[in-house]
Amino acid sequence: MTGLGSVLVVGLILMVLAACVDLLAGTRSPAWRRVPYLLGAVGSVCLVVAGAGAVAGRRVTIRSGAVLDGVAVGGRHLFSATSGLAADRLSGLFLIIAFSAAAAVSLGFASWASGPAGAAGTGRRGLGASYALALGSVALILTAADAFTLLFAWELLTLAFWLLAGFDRNSASRRVSALITLAFGRISGASLLAGLLLLVTRSGSLTLAGLAHVPAGPLRATACVLLMAGFAVKVGLVPFQVWLPRGYAAAPGPARAIMAGVSVNVGFYGLWRTLAILGPPPAAVIDILLLLASATALLGIAHAAVQGSLQRVIAYSSVENTGLILAGFGVALVGAATSSRALMAVGLLAATLQVIAHTAAKSLLFAASSSIQPPGGSDDLDSLRGSVRRTPWASTGLAVGSLTLAGLPPTVGFVSEWFLLEALMQQFRVPGLADRLVLAVTGAAVALTAGFAGVTFVRLIGLVVLGRPADEQPAAAVDTRPTGRVGIVLLAIACLALAAVTPLEIRLIGAGLAPVLPTPAVTAALKSPWVVQPVFAGFSILSPSWLWVVMPALFVVVAILAWLASGSRLLRVRRVPAWRSATAGVSGHDSYTAFGFANPTRRVLAAILHTRAEVTRFDTVNDEDGADAVPSAAHVEYSSDVIEVTEQYLYRPFRRPFALLVWLAQRLQSGRLDAYLAYMLIALLAVLAVVTGLH
Amino acid sequence: MTAAADYELTASVDDLRDRVTAQIDAGGRLADLFGTAHDAGLVITAQLAGPDGMTTLDALLPAGQRSYPSLTPLVGSAFWYEREIHDLFGVVPAGHPRLEPLMLPTNGPDLPMPGRDGGPARIDPDPRVLPSHVVGPGLFTIPHGPVRSGVTESIEYLVETPGEDIPHLNMRLFYKHRGVEKRFEGMEPADGVLLAERAEGVATVAHAIAFCQAVELIAGTAVPWPAALIRTLHAELERLACHLDVIVRLADGAGLSVATARFGWHKERVLRLAGQLSGSRFGRGVVVPGGVTAAPQLEPSEILAAARELERQLSADVRLLMGTASFLDRLRRTGPLLPARAVAHGAVGPIGRASGGVDDARQSRPYAAYGSLGTTVSSRDDGDALARLEVRIDEIASSFHLIRQAADELDEVASGPLQAECTIADGRATSWAEAPQGEVLYDVRIAGGVITRCRSRSASFHNLVLMHEVFAGDILTDFPFIEASFGLSVAGAAG
Amino acid sequence: MWALRGLRDGILTTRWPARPDQYAAATRGPATVLAGPASDQVSGAELAGLCPVGAISADQSERPRVDQGRCILCGRCVQLRPDVFGWSAGPDRAALTRNGLVVPAEESPESVAAIAEALRTRTRALRRSVHLRHVDAGSDGSEEWEIMALLNPVYDIHRLGMFFTASPRHADILMVTGAGANGMADSLRETYEAMPSPKVVIAVGSDAVGGGIISPSYATSSGVGAIVPVDVWLPGSPPSPFAILAALLLALDRLPAATGPTPVRSGGAAGGLR
Repeated sequence: MTGLGSVLVVGLILMVLAACVDLLAGTRSPAWRRVPYLLGAVGSVCLVVAGAGAVAGRRVTIRSGAVLDGVAVGGRHLFSATSGLAADRLSGLFLIIAFSAAAAVSLGFASWASGPAGAAGTGRRGLGASYALALGSVALILTAADAFTLLFAWELLTLAFWLLAGFDRNSASRRVSALITLAFGRISGASLLAGLLLLVTRSGSLTLAGLAHVPAGPLRATACVLLMAGFAVKVGLVPFQVWLPRGYAAAPGPARAIMAGVSVNVGFYGLWRTLAILGPPPAAVIDILLLLASATALLGIAHAAVQGSLQRVIAYSSVENTGLILAGFGVALVGAATSSRALMAVGLLAATLQVIAHTAAKSLLFAASSSIQPPGGSDDLDSLRGSVRRTPWASTGLAVGSLTLAGLPPTVGFVSEWFLLEALMQQFRVPGLADRLVLAVTGAAVALTAGFAGVTFVRLIGLVVLGRPADEQPAAAVDTRPTGRVGIVLLAIACLALAAVTPLEIRLIGAGLAPVLPTPAVTAALKSPWVVQPVFAGFSILSPSWLWVVMPALFVVVAILAWLASGSRLLRVRRVPAWRSATAGVSGHDSYTAFGFANPTRRVLAAILHTRAEVTRFDTVNDEDGADAVPSAAHVEYSSDVIEVTEQYLYRPFRRPFALLVWLAQRLQSGRLDAYLAYMLIALLAVLAVVTGLH
Repeated sequence: MTAAADYELTASVDDLRDRVTAQIDAGGRLADLFGTAHDAGLVITAQLAGPDGMTTLDALLPAGQRSYPSLTPLVGSAFWYEREIHDLFGVVPAGHPRLEPLMLPTNGPDLPMPGRDGGPARIDPDPRVLPSHVVGPGLFTIPHGPVRSGVTESIEYLVETPGEDIPHLNMRLFYKHRGVEKRFEGMEPADGVLLAERAEGVATVAHAIAFCQAVELIAGTAVPWPAALIRTLHAELERLACHLDVIVRLADGAGLSVATARFGWHKERVLRLAGQLSGSRFGRGVVVPGGVTAAPQLEPSEILAAARELERQLSADVRLLMGTASFLDRLRRTGPLLPARAVAHGAVGPIGRASGGVDDARQSRPYAAYGSLGTTVSSRDDGDALARLEVRIDEIASSFHLIRQAADELDEVASGPLQAECTIADGRATSWAEAPQGEVLYDVRIAGGVITRCRSRSASFHNLVLMHEVFAGDILTDFPFIEASFGLSVAGAAG
Repeated sequence: MWALRGLRDGILTTRWPARPDQYAAATRGPATVLAGPASDQVSGAELAGLCPVGAISADQSERPRVDQGRCILCGRCVQLRPDVFGWSAGPDRAALTRNGLVVPAEESPESVAAIAEALRTRTRALRRSVHLRHVDAGSDGSEEWEIMALLNPVYDIHRLGMFFTASPRHADILMVTGAGANGMADSLRETYEAMPSPKVVIAVGSDAVGGGIISPSYATSSGVGAIVPVDVWLPGSPPSPFAILAALLLALDRLPAATGPTPVRSGGAAGGLR
């Protein structure tokens, strides 16, 4: 193995070590509880180094050795000399993205785990091990060179997700969420298995590189669709997004950041890799993908805007970002299908930028929210109001992450959304009418999503971070400790500073996307050292770096002018209470609650959300003769409900038949030995029949 | 108008309840309910309006009894009246569904107790006495007031909302409470008119007429015919001004700047005309016990010419306004007051007439010159803001008609004394007038040449409680329209 | 349709104060003492009985004096003794001190000039663009009509660079109406505190200046002077829009050279109707 390959191995070994430490010493003193996560952080750094080397072009491989060289089936070698673990440029890019976020999150995890939150309610070992398992399987997936490793690591990741989501066994709803996470993980694994097997039978070798040689035809197309479907389940494309909010919200603390910020990148990596190996799927599939992406984005943000629980808001925003990223990816597919390299470049560039922004912001959001939510307390938005006074560090992190996902300058989210919208606006260059229409619809959906994202995150920043604390003080939340603060600061800096160095980012992405399309195609987005354009020249330009210079400069200039004009009285302040129309005061909620703020959104998007609202009046005077009720003395209650439409109309109707199937399948598990022996005999006979028939 | 010597102290509160419910079942409505402090205890008076005029019923709550069985469960429209009695006298109506301070939140031992000689020099409202009622789940309260945006009177609306629509609304009136009724005591009737004019400044003439009629009834004076015509003339000018003010506010809320400007101009012309007739733009100093102070300073022909010109331009603008679809859209089905509720409550004024009511004191219980001049009553059934506007537009037309008739009559009538000799006698009388907001009731008691108790019940106080009930699915942006279409004056409601 | 309608009647806006306005000149103000020999022949007892709010009294040299801040324009004194008392006319009825409202004038011109100078310095920055906030502290509803009339096309306060604002945070001038109801005392103070300096307070109407006829009452403070510091006192029941405009211009030192109050005998014809 090469030098950087050894760094890769070191990283993996550190993960295993972390798992062992947690399993052996997980419940000892707080100091011991931090060790697995610190080891994981170091391991992540190693993996970042390996990834950087891979992007730079160095060879990063770990051969499986001669042990597997000799495995052959039917005269064909399944494992060739290049199987094992290998990180090429694409893997390197995703290694950098995923594991730099993982390093920062691990620091936060370390400080969380050693605090009362980490120990509260658990006192059990295993969280660190599940965490290490998740990170290790992500590394394996990203560096897998053959189908077997990929599938194996995929299943490991599914297992890790189930362990993480179901860690808190006490709550029944969490157990159900974990099961649903597991189920969808298995569905994605099954889809991947089917697709890869189809390709392997044709290509004759298990290596991923060899799959590219499968001739074009229905088999290749089907396999491509299956693979993309499997990866789409992982990232949460409609209609598979139902597990995301449940699974993410069920996991404890910063484990959510690992799941939603770090691990979700394997799905995107898989889609990018599929495009690199197999090329674009059929045109109809591309259009369907674009439409599903826009539906995902809209559905995700619609639900994020109206949820009452902090974790659910952030989780649904993951769904929205999946839609945005896949919209960019869809543009790239259109470009690939119409052989327009520039279009492909701008689509992939936009999608990858959004992946980076999402990784940084989502990790930051989940890491911060784990400190904002008091241990053992509820994460209802209305009870978390004014958190900046209780947990200033975590709240600042939440604010920066929200700004990024809302796409506001000068954060990196702004740059990525700009690129995405610019990519979608290139639809006029596409020859086919169907593609153009679909791209236009997707563009409109993305713009609408961006608008509602503003509403969603304003609610978080304005009410949760900066609002007035509710009258009833919530249980004391503990702010992140110094280790975690480092993690939050790193992620916040990433959200902000990456925008300033966008050209470097684009060069990195260009290098990383080399397996998919040539680097110069991507770096054509650099108009000049500090100005970027959407690959096509003469369309529009943006300079986030200059923005970072100009905006503070304007602020300073205005401040100086104000100071001069005020004659040095600028800082003399007289403090008075906020103006509330001089009311004598009311008790209870007397300003917009988080629930109330989302109410207009509930009404406007009632078509997507299927909002049902109910006003119940309790008249305190019962009129005997029905004539003189006093409605003015009534007390009123208001309740409002939204429905997840895919769940309601797609999944629920199948519960009955599915339960029937399960019951039938359970009959097979009779527990009788002779029945099992009979099954084995039947299976053997079937295999023999098939093999004989094939010859 | 009814006159009596003094209070009827024979009935008990239970008798009062029975008689009130009996009269209401027979088709009457509760017009007023108030208390008077008396040596023997607390006199509770109910005024009932029926087909045969206004009936006054007294009852005595003996001294020492601090509570009486509440009327509200039987007669819903007594809701605010009993809260007012509780605030001013400290007696508790047992069984009242929501007994919270309305006009005067105070826990202190000092209470105004109108009717009693003397009283506290100063009572400061104590906000801590205000109820801390918790809104239901899913709702929060937006306190709107008392210092609201725009040039408005001080009242606080507690809008309970889930974030967009308004299922419920609470009001706090105590900010503007001035203690008008207590101030009347000890005044001579000549001074009392001045106070009555300022009890509700935008309905000056109506209040002055009602008060003076009560004093004249006690003294047995008959008002000369020209004075009655002049009173009618000023009352109709005031009605024009008030209705135009409502139209200005509605047009302003809808953003029709030209309409707002033009109707503002028309209202200014009405006020200037009133000023030229009497020297005061609001008709102050015109109505005195016995008649009026002076003849109008314009000739009837000049009045006719001005009114004609004003009516011509006003009708044209009204026609255009009622054809502006965007404006009508904001008003249609906004703030609907169900006819059943209006009847049950006994809503007065344009609010009641827009929900199917037909009661107009100028026609049902004529006073001043209305009996001889033709008064038409307009009515609608929808009860929404548009219906209230339409009723007011009809009343504007009929006001011009009345002004023309009054001016014509003034032209023909021979000049004579405008103020009859009004020797102040002791006694008690009830009288009314139809202010632009609705019926105004005055119950005046004079003893020893000065007023000992003057109950001034404005239409705003009676109708304002209906604001609770008109928000059926309306959203926050409909609020200004509903408030403007009610057209009530907080000064009259807060007392 | 509405756009054309607005052009139909030409320019309705008054040019006051740049040009004289007939209606403005005829605006009726509070009662005033007429100069002349009849003023000497009023006894103290008769003086006390003339005014229902006690605005008329005798000064040190036994001559009648009217506290215009208390006058509610009921007209009784003018009707009973038209040889002694008359209406004041013209729009500039406001004064910078409470005592400045007493006629015949009792304050020395120097002290008034000092106060005027202080006000002028304070409002120097506000002169051409000013925001108004109104608070109702227990009025009877008519002063609000007269203040709102400033927005109609006849007076059009916007042409003078004055605007109404909803939030006291943006306001420069606070106009207070009403006799100072106890329930509004806290709210009024809060509004005053919420305004940034420099700020000017105008007490609009006789209720706000001296309590009107509603005071003394258990629920009012006899005027708003006890609640917030008042800079300009404007009597009237209610003061006409021209008087309010004049008070605003006085506060900003934009009033053209003021002529003294012109007494008009009662019964004089008022300006023509348009």
